Amino acid sequence: MMACHFLRALFRIQQTSTSSSSSGRSRRIRRAAYASMAYSAGTRRAWSRALLRKLRSRARLRFPRRLSRAATPQRRDMDQAQVLRKLVPGGPSMDDCKLLEETADYIRCLTTQVRLMQTVMDSISS
Amino acid sequence: MEAKENNQFGLEESHGDHISSHSPGAAGFVTPLTSSPILSASMLEAFFTPGLWNHRTSSCTMSFGESNIQTSTSGINCVPIGKPVAMSNRGMLPSPPPGEFPHSLPHFPVDSGFIERAAKLSCFGGGSFRGISHLGPSQSMTPPSDASKDAIGARVQKAELNVVSLPVEHGTIKGITMNNKRDRSISHVGTSNNKSREGNFCEDGQERHTGSADAAGNSSSSDLGANKRRKATEEMEKEKDQVLRGLQSSTETTKDNTETKCKSYKHSGKNAKDNSEAAKEGYVHVRAQRGQATNSHSLAERVRREKISERMKYLQELVPGCSKVTGKAVMLDEIINYVQSLQRQVEFLSMKLAAVNPQLDFSIEGLLAKNLLHSHGGSSSAAGFSQEMIYPQVYSSQQGLAHAGISSMLNPSDAFRRTLNTEIPMTSGYKETSLQMHNSWNEQLVMQMAYGANPPLNSQVINRKPDGFTI
Repeated sequence: MMACHFLRALFRIQQTSTSSSSSGRSRRIRRAAYASMAYSAGTRRAWSRALLRKLRSRARLRFPRRLSRAATPQRRDMDQAQVLRKLVPGGPSMDDCKLLEETADYIRCLTTQVRLMQTVMDSISS
Repeated sequence: MEAKENNQFGLEESHGDHISSHSPGAAGFVTPLTSSPILSASMLEAFFTPGLWNHRTSSCTMSFGESNIQTSTSGINCVPIGKPVAMSNRGMLPSPPPGEFPHSLPHFPVDSGFIERAAKLSCFGGGSFRGISHLGPSQSMTPPSDASKDAIGARVQKAELNVVSLPVEHGTIKGITMNNKRDRSISHVGTSNNKSREGNFCEDGQERHTGSADAAGNSSSSDLGANKRRKATEEMEKEKDQVLRGLQSSTETTKDNTETKCKSYKHSGKNAKDNSEAAKEGYVHVRAQRGQATNSHSLAERVRREKISERMKYLQELVPGCSKVTGKAVMLDEIINYVQSLQRQVEFLSMKLAAVNPQLDFSIEGLLAKNLLHSHGGSSSAAGFSQEMIYPQVYSSQQGLAHAGISSMLNPSDAFRRTLNTEIPMTSGYKETSLQMHNSWNEQLVMQMAYGANPPLNSQVINRKPDGFTI
């Protein structure tokens, strides 16, 4: 299901943006990846709901790619929870218990998506 | 161990005699005593009055077991030894509420004596109280069938052992086989290290429960005795609280708490039977274990902590290389790193795909996409639908490319199938059936492409379920 969404999006991107910059395309592909993740998870998960909301609002998908420059080595549990909340979509509005649950599901979905993308990449490049 | 305990009181010999001899004693003497359930000081007094002790041992009734409990609870109250009230309490021990503890045996007097001694010994330590409490109920619980002296001696030894060990390990009374339901709760109390308060509470609850349980079959006197005992235990609890204040962290426990604790004790505990139950039955009942605060707030906190630790364990399995990591902080660090690395991977792959895109074989992508799309959407549709959907797709794309792409498609489709197969366990929570159909459609399309004779193949493929893709 995730693959279906993702491939469709990929195909669409390919068709529509043949001349666009690679960065723009990569951004769109990334957006498509997260969209497919969110669609596969559906509305059962808080993170997928938050992700879908973000996607629908057409907001710029900002992902905390880099660790905070001020990543102090002494990260307390509270800070860790905050960092995790920033990573997982919809995190700020969750309590610790739910946060861990959502993180687990998010990790599962992320790994699936990464594997899918790798497969597509391999299939394309082979 | 008995010796140690007895030495303090100098009643060892007497107790030993009492133990061995189940003299009927003065029943009359006993009855007035039994009337008063408060045992707190009575037990202490018993130590000093071997005569009474004899009487008590003689009574050897279930009530004695009750008294044992009470005495054990009161054991901590070494201070109010000289209370006259205690005398009355002691009296109740022997005879009156036989219904309370149907399993009380003549052995109880002996045990209670030992318990008392242990209580006295441990009263200074505070922890013995718990053990005593355990001993009391546990002994009462021992079935009357073990009336043999040997059994008594064994129990006494056990009790003594427990009592002795109390100062060291609070309430670790194990080995006392409990046959009663109450035994279970008691054993829970005894086996688990609990604060004295909890032990007390458990006893109280047990007594209450026993009282209620035995109410049906007990005489009115026993009920009265039970009630009295409850009150006595409650009073004793208060007294104990004063003594054990330093030992117990939560001082807010009230009768309600005790009741809840008793409930929790019944449920929790390390009894062999209940070990399997363990944990929490439901979100409503939280099992308070020994040694843990039983405050309502702390209970909720414990529930929360258990939930969090449960989820952390699950996350540990998800994140590779975290099985040996212990500790929340380190684990959270690993989780954060893993999530960040996954997100970085997605970005990297998307960049790569964007770069590779121009080289993509449009047909492959489109066909695959459509195939997947149709396979996903056609899971519930008939074969004809798939044919209709696929055919236009096949023919819409460039024929040459389509044919050229067939061979290459086979590889990607296999790769996709593999991916999907790997995804299946991942997304098992999601629509598995659709994935199955997906793969079947994938194969179907491949077959169609390969042979070009779609109708018969379609039917064949459709009929042939993807056995290999069974999840």
